Amino acid sequence: MNVVTRGVKNAVRSPLKSGAIVLMFAISIALILSMLVARGSVLAKINDVKANAGTAITIRPAGVMGDQGGGDPLTAAQIATIKSTTNVSSVTSSLTDQMTTTDTNLTSSLTLGSFGARQQRSTSTTQASTDTTGADTTATATTRPAPTPRISVTGTTDANSVSTTGGTLTISSGAAIDGNSSDNIALVGATLATKNNLTVGSTFTAYGQTITVKGIYTTGNAFQDSGIIMPLATVQTLTDQAGAVSSVSAKVNSSDNVALTVTALKTALGDKADITSEAEQAATSVTSLEGIASLTLAGVIAAAAAGALIILLAMILVVRERRREIGVIKAIGGSNGKVIGQFIVEGLTITVIGAVIGLVFGILVSGPMTTSLVSNSQNSASTSASTTGRGARGGFGGGFASARNQLNTNLTQVTASLTPQIFLAAVGITLLIALLGSAIPAWLTARIRPAEVLRTE
Amino acid sequence: MLTVENVSKTFSTPGGQVQALKDVNLSVKTGEFVSIIGKSGSGKSTLLSILGALDNPSTGSIIVDETEINKLSGGNQTQYRAKKIGFVFQQYNLVPNLTALENVMLALEFGGYPSSSRLDRASQLLASVGIEEDQQQRRPSRLSGGQQQRVSIARALANQPAYILADEPTGNLDSATGKKIFDLLHDLSRSQKTTIIVVTHDLEIAGKTDRTFTLKDGKITTK
Repeated sequence: MNVVTRGVKNAVRSPLKSGAIVLMFAISIALILSMLVARGSVLAKINDVKANAGTAITIRPAGVMGDQGGGDPLTAAQIATIKSTTNVSSVTSSLTDQMTTTDTNLTSSLTLGSFGARQQRSTSTTQASTDTTGADTTATATTRPAPTPRISVTGTTDANSVSTTGGTLTISSGAAIDGNSSDNIALVGATLATKNNLTVGSTFTAYGQTITVKGIYTTGNAFQDSGIIMPLATVQTLTDQAGAVSSVSAKVNSSDNVALTVTALKTALGDKADITSEAEQAATSVTSLEGIASLTLAGVIAAAAAGALIILLAMILVVRERRREIGVIKAIGGSNGKVIGQFIVEGLTITVIGAVIGLVFGILVSGPMTTSLVSNSQNSASTSASTTGRGARGGFGGGFASARNQLNTNLTQVTASLTPQIFLAAVGITLLIALLGSAIPAWLTARIRPAEVLRTE
Repeated sequence: MLTVENVSKTFSTPGGQVQALKDVNLSVKTGEFVSIIGKSGSGKSTLLSILGALDNPSTGSIIVDETEINKLSGGNQTQYRAKKIGFVFQQYNLVPNLTALENVMLALEFGGYPSSSRLDRASQLLASVGIEEDQQQRRPSRLSGGQQQRVSIARALANQPAYILADEPTGNLDSATGKKIFDLLHDLSRSQKTTIIVVTHDLEIAGKTDRTFTLKDGKITTK
């Protein structure tokens, strides 16, 4: 028999009381663990979101979007500037063009429709000319050729930029093309291919050159599937626009850096470029996750405080109850060290048993808890995520819609993961609570004076 | 071997200074069985605490076999109590969740007795005060008052103390049992030369001891 065995025996002295304390403490430990796990998952997801969502910046020549507007293309020098801007991790450059019937032997798979007709409208002009003698000549009305739908050509360093989901372009037959090539090769949209009986290996003419079909792609998007994708350099050569680029998509390394990268680009490119980004969208999705992370931290602190309080109060009550006993032990020669040691062992015993139960319980509960925390915030996030009015227009359809989808899926995909570090953190917090909760009652026992306690009157 | 020299004790209370003991002098020889009589409020609890090195006098000294125990530091006084003083209380004051054996072994542990021999010594001590083997394994709640007091006496004897302080040892016992306990103490002082100091208000018990000191209003008169 010694201090340790006596401490343990005292811990189980009143099974009902000790059981109640152990249970309450176990619950607080379970909460600590699940909060830590939830926090870990959320922090991991925040990093994930920051690296991927809303990190695309689109740079276009000032005044140009797709094939609308007017202005001069971006130059190689400007592209070099963009590539060398701090925090820009990758750059995709594209040049779009519209082929008319004279540019190619292909027939467009799009119909003009009222929209197309309106886009290509013009008034017929009656030109009255007078010769130098002042006599009227016959007015000749010059009319433009009848409008026809045009075929979109996208020259790009990354064919996946044409995808309408922000992911990889679906190649239904054949192979992808290398965006850095300058060969006369192309990927053809499925609808256009069907219209012109093109298969892998077929050829067609464009800009006076023979182009080989390397693959057929589908996006499910009528506009895109009626177009052609070629390497950037190829289109630059065919359209005789060396080094020209009509759109650049720059990926930033973290959503935290989007705003300042946009500023840097605006400074570097001046009024020669139009810049669009989704910085605000990214910040919103991370804000709700960061809110959860703070909530879980508050939860950990609150649960730890509750646990410490439970042990503290329980031990204070125990010391009170056993005042006389402590006085006797001191009277018959028990040192302060032995008495305090006994109480610390007693406190630790209750804490350890409670912690083991609590950790097991916490492991079971942490998964559902994380999911419920995240789904509650996801409901509020999806109602606040605004649908931007910028729909598909011109050459690039998919850009912004895809980023928005990504943000929403992020919030639902937080997975609860229990790492060894989190487990050790929970154990560490438990021990701290145990020591704190036992130390104060221990100090109280040191102050008990046998002479006072043993007065029989 | 035990000398109390000019001991006074004053307490500060909300109502002012209270002098519990006034210039107490007494001496006890080794192996004597003495009693200190006093009514409630006579200062006997205070004197008991001071004799037991649980408290220090305001003035004066307690000398036991040439050691001035009131001059010892707190830690040393605890050690002194463990090895040199045995306590027997009116309410027995055994540790409730330890068996009779374990209660005695506790005192042996505090006295620094080698752990391998504690069980044997405890068993011997209990047998010598009349606690049989099957009773030795019982907790206090399953022992009668008289048995508990015997265990208490065995505990007090554990480290062969210089003296035993008994505070109303028969106060909670019926007269027949009380007599047995008293006889036990008496035998110990005779056979083992254990010095025993009994503090009591019972004149009959006091009459059976070798000497009696009367404590009244903090002052001693020797009978």
